[in-house]
Amino acid sequence: MTEARHRAAPRPVLTNPATWPESGFGTQVRVLAARSLRTAFGDRRLVFFGLAQPIVLLLLFSQVFSGVSTLPGVAAYQGYVNFLVPATLVNIAMTTAMSSGAGLLAEIHSGFTGRLRCLPISLTAVLVARTIADSARLAVQLLVTVIASVALLGFRPTGGVLGLGAALLLTLLVGWCLSWVFVAITTWLRKAETLQLASFVVMFPLMFSSSAYMPLDTMPGWLRVVSAINPLTYAIDAARALALGRPPGWSIPVALGIAAVAALAGGWVAARTFRSARGVALP
Amino acid sequence: MEQAAIEVTGLAKKYGAVTALAEVSLRVARGTVLAVLGHNGAGKTTLLDILSTRTRPSAGSARVCGFDVVRAGRQVRKRIGVTGQFAAVDEALSGRGNLELVARLLGANARQARARAAELLAVFELEDAAGRPARTYSGGMRRRLDLAAGLVGDPEVLFLDEPTTGLDPISRAGLWGTVERLAARGTTVVLTTQYLEEADRLADHVVVLGLGHVTISGRPAQLKARLGERTATLTFGTDLAAQRARTALDRLGLRHTSADPGLVLGVALAGPADVPVLVRALDAAGAPLKDLTVTEPTLDDVYLSLHRNPAVP
Repeated sequence: MTEARHRAAPRPVLTNPATWPESGFGTQVRVLAARSLRTAFGDRRLVFFGLAQPIVLLLLFSQVFSGVSTLPGVAAYQGYVNFLVPATLVNIAMTTAMSSGAGLLAEIHSGFTGRLRCLPISLTAVLVARTIADSARLAVQLLVTVIASVALLGFRPTGGVLGLGAALLLTLLVGWCLSWVFVAITTWLRKAETLQLASFVVMFPLMFSSSAYMPLDTMPGWLRVVSAINPLTYAIDAARALALGRPPGWSIPVALGIAAVAALAGGWVAARTFRSARGVALP
Repeated sequence: MEQAAIEVTGLAKKYGAVTALAEVSLRVARGTVLAVLGHNGAGKTTLLDILSTRTRPSAGSARVCGFDVVRAGRQVRKRIGVTGQFAAVDEALSGRGNLELVARLLGANARQARARAAELLAVFELEDAAGRPARTYSGGMRRRLDLAAGLVGDPEVLFLDEPTTGLDPISRAGLWGTVERLAARGTTVVLTTQYLEEADRLADHVVVLGLGHVTISGRPAQLKARLGERTATLTFGTDLAAQRARTALDRLGLRHTSADPGLVLGVALAGPADVPVLVRALDAAGAPLKDLTVTEPTLDDVYLSLHRNPAVP
């Protein structure tokens, strides 16, 4: 092909794209993730509200539900805050995963993904980069939240540094897997309003029918059944057990197993539908 | 026959019950400029989406630089540049950042990406704004950045989807100049446009799409010769001369219209040979001309005549 091109003057080597090798999958992910991170942390308001949101939630819940601390299922935690903080970490992972979908949707509509789709790169790399960048954002949010809860709310992670670190890592993994689910929903729905509605319909029942805010023993029977099949219950139980140094039971493998299955299914759907997603409304 | 840059055979695309492209076949020779004309919804963008591998066709085939857009999408994407109707740049990144990002994704290392970005920023006169986020750019600057991003990989084929829609005349002229320079260097350009003047000025070949079909196709000059009408505008110094001219034109059987105050006549001509005949007849009739201008048909005339009579072959 190249020999048939009629080019007026030879180009300087440095700026001649003909001399560039093809970019590999790793390079594509790295370059795109760096770009997403620059965008995410370059927007000061996004950073501020992203960090403020979990802290506001924590303050609110710890005060509203403070009377709960004497309940039998909570008393063992020596303060509702200890019960609440690990669950809030998982909650943050969920909202960040949701914003992952919203961020991707904004880029589909701005036409930026349209440009990427015309480049000889892997579209899976585009999605992997987005979820990795969002996980990096999540890591910062989780750290700030933990530090703020220890300093302001008297959270005592009795599991020690190791236990707390393991809880954060698990939450991060669950969050990364969840972001694949929301990315899949996004590439499938492709409409901001529908996405927001769908996300809330998924998120609120999952949060409140889990063991996040109230011990399961206090719930009516049917809700206890729901919470037993709610994957978040296992993620929250696992994070709580690790951070507080309590027996985790089966919660860790179950939480990671469900997250892995969700990520694989989400990734498969996302990769398939993203190829056909267009930047503008169909005629 | 030299391999064409683009070969499209029986291409069709349906979105559910909506037919965006019914049956399109065309061929674009290397180093030429094709203008795809048509009103909104004629299928222009769908055609470009398929050629740039963003949408799969429902039927038919398309090859770009010899590669099938469905089976060898990646090979196609290595050789094309695309500039959209909606300037697709990262708002948060600077102009330089946007170009470097594309270069890195195309395999350049950091140094090569910087150099290539600098080169394009200079060509498109964006150096002063190079470090500013793209969201602060004006419409014209954004469009130039979008075009620059499409050119980072030095593509063999460039797709421009309504590149000058919404641009001011100066930016439009600048973009036209760029397209002409690229074509002169051997880049194949496919552009969609609603502006017939643009197709007339830039294209070697014009295709008019209507309801997903190629309504008409040919060189701009051919289309105009076939469908357009040459008009002569005659200006006279006196009412008497104008009156004599009307009589002479009636005798010649030429259609004419008069504008206020009656000293200016418009005459429809069949071809260039009509001009000397007209001048001799007016001379003989004693109607001295004060001024004579002949207007070439524009693609607007072609467009309008197609819409008056869509069945024109």
